[in-house]
Order: sequence, then C-alpha cells, then structure tokens
Amino acid sequence: MAIIEGADARGVERVERLDRIWRERPGLTGWLTTTDHKRIGLMYLVTSLLFFAAGGVEALIMRTQLATAGERVVGPERYDQLMTMHGVTMIFFFVIPLSTGAFGNYLIPLMIGARDMAFPRLNALSFWLFLGSGILFYTGLAIGQAPDAGWFNYVPLASRQYSPGLGIDFYALGLILNGASSTVAAANFLVTIAKLRAPGMSLNRMPLFCYANLAASFSLLFALPVLTVDLMFLELSRKFGLHFFDPGRGGQPLLWQDLFWFFGHPEVYIIVLPAFGIATSIIPTFTRRRMAAFPLVALAELLVAFIGFGVWVHHMFTTGLPTIALVFFAAASLIIVIPSGIQIYAWCMTMVTGSPEFRTPLLFIVGFILFFVFGGLSGITLAAVPFDQQVTDTYYVVAHFHYVIWGAAVFPLLGGLYYWFPKVTGRMYHERMGQISFWLVFAGTNVTFFPMHISGLLGMPRRVFTYPGNLGWGPENFVSTLGAFLLTGGLVLIAVNLVYSRLRGEPAGPNPFGAPTLEWTTTSPPPPYNFAVIPEVTSPYPGWDDPTREADTRRLERGELVLEHGHETPATTPVDGRLDEIVSMPSDSPWPITLAAVTTIGFAMVLSNHLIGAAIMAALAAAALCAWHAHEPEAG
Amino acid sequence: MTAVAPAQAARPNGWYGMLMLIASEATIFGALIATYAYLRFNTVAWPPRGVATPSATAPVILALVLLLTAAPVFLAVRAAAAGRRGSAIGLLAGAFVVQAVYLAIQAHLYADQLSTLHADASAYASIYYTLLAVHHAHVGVGLLLELWIMGRLATGWTPYRRTALSAIALYWYFVAVAGLAVTATTLYPAW
Repeated sequence: MAIIEGADARGVERVERLDRIWRERPGLTGWLTTTDHKRIGLMYLVTSLLFFAAGGVEALIMRTQLATAGERVVGPERYDQLMTMHGVTMIFFFVIPLSTGAFGNYLIPLMIGARDMAFPRLNALSFWLFLGSGILFYTGLAIGQAPDAGWFNYVPLASRQYSPGLGIDFYALGLILNGASSTVAAANFLVTIAKLRAPGMSLNRMPLFCYANLAASFSLLFALPVLTVDLMFLELSRKFGLHFFDPGRGGQPLLWQDLFWFFGHPEVYIIVLPAFGIATSIIPTFTRRRMAAFPLVALAELLVAFIGFGVWVHHMFTTGLPTIALVFFAAASLIIVIPSGIQIYAWCMTMVTGSPEFRTPLLFIVGFILFFVFGGLSGITLAAVPFDQQVTDTYYVVAHFHYVIWGAAVFPLLGGLYYWFPKVTGRMYHERMGQISFWLVFAGTNVTFFPMHISGLLGMPRRVFTYPGNLGWGPENFVSTLGAFLLTGGLVLIAVNLVYSRLRGEPAGPNPFGAPTLEWTTTSPPPPYNFAVIPEVTSPYPGWDDPTREADTRRLERGELVLEHGHETPATTPVDGRLDEIVSMPSDSPWPITLAAVTTIGFAMVLSNHLIGAAIMAALAAAALCAWHAHEPEAG
Repeated sequence: MTAVAPAQAARPNGWYGMLMLIASEATIFGALIATYAYLRFNTVAWPPRGVATPSATAPVILALVLLLTAAPVFLAVRAAAAGRRGSAIGLLAGAFVVQAVYLAIQAHLYADQLSTLHADASAYASIYYTLLAVHHAHVGVGLLLELWIMGRLATGWTPYRRTALSAIALYWYFVAVAGLAVTATTLYPAW
C-alpha cells in the first residue's frame, strides 16, 4: 500500500502498533465474537446469498410447475407455501440483508474514513438476530408448517380460523425478530453516518452511496415498527383471541392491509435505495467523471425515502376505498416519479458526458437503468386507478414488481459484487466471464419476466398453482420458465467466476479501477483498523484529488490521527464534520451472539406456547445485556 | 493524541443511539394510537354497548406523576455533569421509587379492569389493553435501566456510564411524554 510503503521508519512503527492493537481472535471463536464491521459484513454476505439460493430454488420449482397447463410437480398447498417462502425470503432474508447488512456494513465505515461502526457490538447483534430469525423462519418449512398466505399475509386468510397450523406464527414471529435486527442495524448506520465521518467530510463531501444508505436506514427506522405492530396484532389475535381484524367484534380486516402497506411501500424504496447508491459509486469510476448534479441526486435519494411513506394505498386500489383517497394516493404515486427521474437523468448524463468503459460492473448498472425505466413505466400504468383495477391480482403486477425488485434492485447488487470483489478479496474477477454472465442474466431476466405482462393482460391471475390448457396462457408461461433457467445459468456463472477468482484471480492491488472513494485508498483486503491514518477528505472523490495519497503518508509519519494507542476512531460533528472527540471502540465480545441466541429461543418458545420458558429466556437476555455492558471500552 | 477533546460540540454516540431507538419506539406508539382512531371511526358505538366509559381521575393523576418524575432524572444528569455521584444516585433512587409505585398502581388498575372487561371481548377492549400494556412495558424497561445504572454508578464514574445515564434520562423523558399520549387516547370516550 502506497501510504505505508512511502512512510519512513516512524510511520512503519505506528502501523505495527495498530496491527497489534486491532488483532482479533483467530479461528471460529474470532468469527463468533467479532465486532469488525468487515467480518460482520462478510457473514451477512454469505448468509444472505444462501437464503438467495433457497429463494431461487423455490422460484424454480414454481416456474417448473407453471411451465405447462395442468402440471403436478407440486400440489396447491405446497405451491402456496413455496410462493410465500419465496417472497418473504427474497425481501427479508436476501435483498435487505445483502444491500444494507453486507454492502452497507462492509463499505460505509470505509467510505467515510472510520475504523468501525458507531456501535460495533450492536452491529454483531443485528447479524446474529438476523441469522436467528432466518433459522426460526425456515424451521417452519423443515417441519412441514411453512406459512402459506403470501408475503403480504392478508387476514382473514391468515387468522387462526382459516390458517390453524403454526405456519403463520413462524411468519409473524420470524419477521418480528428480523425487524428487530434491521431496526438496530438502521439505527447503527444513522449514527455512524452522522458521527463517525472522517474530519473534513462535511455533508457536501459525503459519498452518494452513504446518502442512499442514510435514506434507506431512515425509512427502515420508521417503517419497520409499523409492521411490528401489525404482526403483534396478528399474534395476539391468533394466540389469545383478541379482535383487531374481526368485523363481528368491531375490528377491521383492512387494518392489516393499511398497516402492512404503510410498511410495505417504503420497503420497496428500502430495497431500491441501496441499489441507487451502488449505481452512483460504479458510474463515476467507469466513466472517469464525477456524478452530474451531485446535490440534486443526494436530495432526490432522501426525497424518495420521504415520499415513499405517502403512497401505500396504491396497493389497495381495489379494496373499496373512497374515491378521494384513491385520487390522493394516485397523485402521490405519480409525484415520486420526479426524484426517481432526476436520478435517472443524472446517471445517464454522467455516462454521456464521461468516457464510459463498459466493464462488468458498469454493464450491470446499464441493465439496472433499463429495468428501472421499464419497471417504472409499467408502474405509472398501475398508478392509474382504472387500469390498476383491471389488472390487480394478475401476472401484469408480478411482471412489474419483478422488473423493479429484481431488475432494478438486484442488478446493482450483482454489479456491486463484481465491483468490490477486488477490494474484499485482494484478487481480480475474470472480466470476460463476468461480461458473459451479465448478458445471460440480462437476457434471462427479460425472457422470464416480460411474457408475464402479456399473460397478465390476457387475464392470468397471480398465485394460482396451475391453469387449464384452453385459456391460451401456455406459450407465455413456457417461455417464462425457460427464461428462469437461463437466468439461473447466468447466476451460477457469477458464482463460478467469484469462487474461481477468489482462488486463482490476479492480485488486484489497492485500487484496480482507479476509483475515487476512500475504501480504495487502503489495502485490499483492508486491515482490521481500515486505515493506517484517518484519511484526509477534500471532496466526495478524495481519491481523485490526491491519487498518490502523499499527504496521508506524511500525516502517518507525523502521527496525526493515527490513534495508535487504543481501539479508537475520531467522532465529528454531524453537519460540518469537524473533529469533536476520539472515541474508544469496544473489541470482540461473546455477548451479542449469546443475546441473539437467547432471544431466538425465547421467540421459538412463544411460538410453541411455552410462555414460562419464554419468560426465563427474557430474564437471561437481561442478564446477557448486563454482562455485555460490564465490559466498557476504556477511554484513551 | 488520545486526549479527549475538552468541550464536545456534539452529543456522544450513545445519546444519538438512544434517540434512534426512541424514534422507532415512538413510531410503535404512533401506530397503536392510529389503530385506536382507525377502529373508533369505523364503528358506531365506542365503547361498545354495555361497556363502561373508563374513569379519568386515576389515570390522569398517574400520568402527571410520571411526567413529574422526569424532573429528578433531569437533575441526576445535571448532578452527574457536576461530578456529584452521590446526589445523582439519590435522585435516581427517588425517581425509581415513585415510578415503581406508579407501575404497581397501574398494574393493579389493569388487573381490576380485566376482571370486568376481557381483552378478547371486542376490538375496543383489544386495542385498549394492548396500548396500555405496551406503555407499561416501557415503564418496566425504564425501571430496569435505572436499577442497572444505579448499580454501575455505585462503583464509580466512567465516560461510558455518563453517556449511559444521559441516554437513560432521554428514554425516561420519552416514556413520560408517551404516557400522556397513551392516557389521552385511552380516555378518549371520557372526553
């Protein structure tokens, strides 16, 4: 690394001291007790990709079932379970953990020049709670009691009367636990971004990736509690017979939908905002140009999160609401196009006025923009109430949200996997194989999801496990299924590329793409303390202001913000980014994983009606928290 | 290089973390109160026929008492800033006793009402008891936090504990204000 290699003996000695201070436990214990945001990010990455594989297999079984009319690969009950598991898995156990948990965790502290997250142990807790919620949720499938009422889980279908098994309880309790994990993660990101930016990184010098994560975390913080309340109502109704949704006792079935979509629509932006952030990281690097309209894009990212809270009723246009409500929410749904449009123009303008080099990560971003525009256009048709009332509950809607959630939200994640692979592993991915994988996935996505627009317009309803042969939906469904396997082929090629490159790839060096943000100024992979010296920040693209990082080398020699006497990172003021204090960071701790385990077991006990056992687990959780805080990070 | 800057311009991270927790907890209360209104305005008789209007006296007095306990908590933070550990613990202990009595009386009232109106009787009863239970649970968590910080302060001062105290105080201000909102909502039929 240039900064350290160029340094004199004093600088090298400081780095050696940092190495000693930040060394973590070796082996498995190290992983189980780690508070290093990079290792936590990697655990998020691996876990969420495993859930992605599970959700993908579920999708493939469904597509196989639907390939031709009257298939009997799975029966209707199993199909309903697969459909529900697929939706919940992809949203709660794949996209959010991958985009915020993996990318956010690994990259945010590196991008803002910090040595860790604001609350490292809380960060570990959020990962272990996420893992616990995933295990709890999939236990339902393992014991044959998977939820089967769709990812939106409408009452009265989800009530005890119509879903008497444990499936819905696995859904509700699993998602409450998952929500707790995401809430603490969001709080952690917000404080980290507000307080731990390197001195000099005032808000106008913060990378757009961080703005996107900030907006997504803000949405998570205010949207998830509403889902939690909704799930709590559901469980109180199912377990203790309370009445929230039962019109016979003064309840309202629509209450479930209102609360669910109040969470559910911001959720769409929570999913897609980190993707925007990745796009705004990759585009400047491969076009050799700073993002066009930087302040507007930053504001648009925040505005999307904000307006996202005012559009939820467009999921409920057919529930018999008054016209005035429909008109208001249709208008809000159209207004949100404006901040999205600003970003699309900014991405395109940056590429048009730069000198783009279409390597694999940028290809995925181009695919993303195309899918986002296409999915956005079909979204505009759905914001029109009369048209929506015609196509609700048809495959047209399935086509629309897969273009948005798969095409627009996941493509940048795939591009991001390639883009930051050299940083994380220190090795280059295989470029040619990468480009082939892009074209396979791009073609597969269109072949899978485009025909669904047509089958939807022809009247094919969503969520059916099969269909008769004389309705003319056969060709579209058959093509969709072929596309699904093509898509899978592309994804497998990505996996092969990354695994192969991890073992055999060319050494990447600290900055193989000449990228401008701070994560590229340190070694690949970064050391546990991220930076030998807290880097100097002169703009949102500090790597281009001073490619040799000469100033940082001199600061390392002088010992300016090296902090080589403890587990420390600087804290700054939230707006101006002025140095405020040096905070001591906690190191590895066994308590986050313990607390998460106890909590998960407690939830399982509530689920199986062992309320006394659950109370014991709550007491143990309190004890674990006391033990957690008994170890205080020492001040300087 | 490791010296802590003498006067910090921004609050400590732990205080900001508590602010985030409060934001999400406030959203929970917001959703519960919104549900109360949602159910109320989608029905004719509220409370349902045969259910007595809740009596206002005791809940209003209790809510005001809980609000007043924010004062000793605030003074405890001030005492901590001035380095007076003993008076900080004393003030917290005073607040703790009043808050614990508050919770005991509330639990008694809750059980008393449950004996005449079951939570599974109607949507009205369900949201009424759920809203109160969530509030009481927050008071309970606050009591545990106070107990914990008093125990930690008893063995000495650290910056970590000072931050924890300011965060716990912030939590209590929130619980006291949320208590007002919950009381006002549950007493809506008596307005």
